Amino acid sequence: MFSFRAIRKIECCSHSVLGTCGSLGINLGGVRTTIAKHWNPKFKKLRSQKVLKVELPDYQELNKPFNEFTREEIRSKMKERGILPHRWWGDRPFFIASTGSVFEPYVPPEGDGKVSVITAQGAKQKLEFVEKKGKSMMALRKIRNFEEDFNYKEFVKIAEDTYIRGHQAMINKDRDKIVQFITERAYPEVVNNIGDKTVVWEFVSSIEPPTVVHLRCTDVITKENIFAQITVRFHTQQILAVYDRFGRLMHGSETIPKDVLEYVVFERHMANKYGRWRIHDKIIPDWMPPKEPSLRTYVVDFTDDEPQVPSVQEQPSSVASTG
Amino acid sequence: MAVILRRLGMPVFSSLTRQTLSAPCSAIASSGTLRHINHTTTVMPELEEHGGASEREKTRKWLTYNDKLYPPTKPGETPRPAFVCHMKENIKYSPKKMWYVACFVRGMSIDEALKQLEFVNRKGALVVKETILEAQQLAIEKHNVEFKSNLWVAESFVSKGVTVKGMRRHARMRAGIIKYRYCHYYVRLEEGKPPENYYNRPSRDKETLLNDWLQRMRYRRIVGSL
Repeated sequence: MFSFRAIRKIECCSHSVLGTCGSLGINLGGVRTTIAKHWNPKFKKLRSQKVLKVELPDYQELNKPFNEFTREEIRSKMKERGILPHRWWGDRPFFIASTGSVFEPYVPPEGDGKVSVITAQGAKQKLEFVEKKGKSMMALRKIRNFEEDFNYKEFVKIAEDTYIRGHQAMINKDRDKIVQFITERAYPEVVNNIGDKTVVWEFVSSIEPPTVVHLRCTDVITKENIFAQITVRFHTQQILAVYDRFGRLMHGSETIPKDVLEYVVFERHMANKYGRWRIHDKIIPDWMPPKEPSLRTYVVDFTDDEPQVPSVQEQPSSVASTG
Repeated sequence: MAVILRRLGMPVFSSLTRQTLSAPCSAIASSGTLRHINHTTTVMPELEEHGGASEREKTRKWLTYNDKLYPPTKPGETPRPAFVCHMKENIKYSPKKMWYVACFVRGMSIDEALKQLEFVNRKGALVVKETILEAQQLAIEKHNVEFKSNLWVAESFVSKGVTVKGMRRHARMRAGIIKYRYCHYYVRLEEGKPPENYYNRPSRDKETLLNDWLQRMRYRRIVGSL
């Protein structure tokens, strides 16, 4: 009689340990001292028949995001339900209103200056300049095919206006405005991480008037479908301060204006009658001094975990690009 | 972890888990069937404050506190402490039992809470610990918290979840209902040190205990005396 109870007690303990915390080895249930069950195990079956078995849903497992399943888990679950893997049905999205990259990007000269023509390096640079300028002139002629009264003076004004309004739309998080001043290629970069931040940005003044340094044209699919890209050099004074969600300063300052030298690429779909010049990219030269470090410190994770791909089939990357 | 992935824009629907299993190619592909099909969706991601969260999550007010944007503090003002709200829903555990664990960790620093929970012999302690660890990770990755130990459990409470009803036979052809209860657990971690006396408990230091004792002795009534 006593032995039955003792056995039951042990069973109860071991069950609770294994069932709830597995490898942690903590006894969560505690030891039961009073047992209101009949001592004779022949009634055990009858007792269990009193309660109808209900399959309780495990919501932790059901609501687990798809990415957290391993390949093997997905496979076994699909096998369990008799589901065949789907064919990859992804259309590759692309925009016909902007290109996916900067073609023949402008290479800003070291230190933004020129090497003396007398040296070999200088002579080479000069030759390159001439060559590039020739190409730029060709591109300019192409632009003028579509827009007869195109001139730098007017364009630079539009560029500066687009630059300022694009940035303002970004800090105001105005999605409809952003796409008016920024191309679809640059959009993800602009929008990235601004959702929970407060950005204070102000255009103080231009130190030097913006200048056109580079023009390129390319045709996509047909000869007439031309995209033009113009690189503009901005040398300006700006104020930038980034605050986190709780209004604490993360970067910059609201009072100190900083000198900013930028090479901004503007793009326009020339074949589109209603197209407009929009910010496409910023050219960051190799010789640029390193960025100011952020105010807070981080713990760097050195574990080289390879990211697990949650899919059964290989998936093509869905990167925006043009034809 | 679930919330991190949800915030990254991975759609997580309670009913979707089965659907995604049937379409295992990618989360994007399966979301295409649910959302309005638009080629701009993947290439032009929505701003974070607009998108990312699933419908189910939007109904959860607790997590929306994480999306609130506070205005910048002025140089003279004290900086606002960061916080992160996190929850685990439909845990197979009674809300009544979970209450003990939830109250237990309230007002503790995060390290203290994690340490203490190791010695709580309740199933809920494991869940609470897991939730706190997830919240800690979220705080560091998403909410600009610099030091992971510089957090305390500002809020910790439980609510009822789904209740599955089961049947039980009684004598004389009668039936009883068994309620299999689930609970939700909510936690809010705040940056900084915990308050000295969160529950406003009476002080237990030497001086006060002695004074209390003295007072009790002086005010006692000796039966049968003058």
